[in-house]
Amino acid sequence: MDKKKPVIVRFYRFKNRLKEKTAGLAPGQVGISPEALQAAEQALTKMAEDYPDWVSGLIVKLQEQHGRCVDTPEKRRECFEEIHRIAHDMKGQGGTFGYPLITVFADSLYGFTYQRDAISDSQVELIKSHLDAMRAVIRGRVSGNGGEIGEKLTQSLNDAIQKYTD
Amino acid sequence: MTDYDFDRVNILLAEDSPFIRSLLVNSLKVLGVGNVFAVEHGGDAIHFLQRVKNEPMKVGVQQIDIIISNWDMHPIDGMMFLRWVRRHKDSPDRFVPFVMITSYTEPERVLQAREMGVTDMLAKPFTIKNIGEKLINIIERPRQFVHTKDFFGPDRRRQKLEHDGPERRVLTDKSEGVEIIRG
Repeated sequence: MDKKKPVIVRFYRFKNRLKEKTAGLAPGQVGISPEALQAAEQALTKMAEDYPDWVSGLIVKLQEQHGRCVDTPEKRRECFEEIHRIAHDMKGQGGTFGYPLITVFADSLYGFTYQRDAISDSQVELIKSHLDAMRAVIRGRVSGNGGEIGEKLTQSLNDAIQKYTD
Repeated sequence: MTDYDFDRVNILLAEDSPFIRSLLVNSLKVLGVGNVFAVEHGGDAIHFLQRVKNEPMKVGVQQIDIIISNWDMHPIDGMMFLRWVRRHKDSPDRFVPFVMITSYTEPERVLQAREMGVTDMLAKPFTIKNIGEKLINIIERPRQFVHTKDFFGPDRRRQKLEHDGPERRVLTDKSEGVEIIRG
């Protein structure tokens, strides 16, 4: 009896059922037409109108966490973790909806709430600076890079970071 | 050019942010996807797939064609979910295309997902065009699955690149120890 060598690798090759399902058996090129894509983009734009409300909701949550940091210093680490998580959620989509500044500020918040052992009062204060900047963006509907206002907001946040990290 | 007919396509979407979730559901619907089942995190997604396996009539779907999942979710994240889909004995389809959404763009994270058998990654922020491209990629360029002692997932080699040197890959389809399964 010949000994069978053990299998080192298995390759699974399947029929493309998904293609049959979506393109049928019709010959010719299949794709997503520019018209369909455009219709979809328009729907996305429409949904984007709700974006500021969504961000406002998250800012309220961040505000609550900031309040906890002030009131219960022993829970700061926990709060920072939560803030870190919310900031992550926030930073993802700002650019898609025309608010890249939200992404910039959320990213900064995300970065500095990453794993900290001792959290000082000035770091807690810095959370507030971020929230103020975000609120200003949403309240003023500062879209795009925000021009002069955007620059000012970014500058004052950077000043705060400078001030509190010294 | 004819448009794809996504009407019979079933997508399972796991995303914890309600805003992004409704956004994705709507985007997929506008692209014509017939069924989008949206859940809040990996745990719910696993539970849903178990139900698809055990009581498809009740759930109203026989098979999920594509999974789209966020990476960063609580308590069960996208990687744990992917691991379950690819490796768990209760998984209804270990070969299902799996797209991971992430705002992490570090190469190590992408690599990590690839080693776990991800099909494709969708980076945040995404556009409708990005989503469309992922769908087309999945439909037009499916990859064979590879199963070795330390990997199970879609072939990590996506392209066939020409090269001048001698062929030094040890295994071919006809080598001993290579088993090809067609279906």
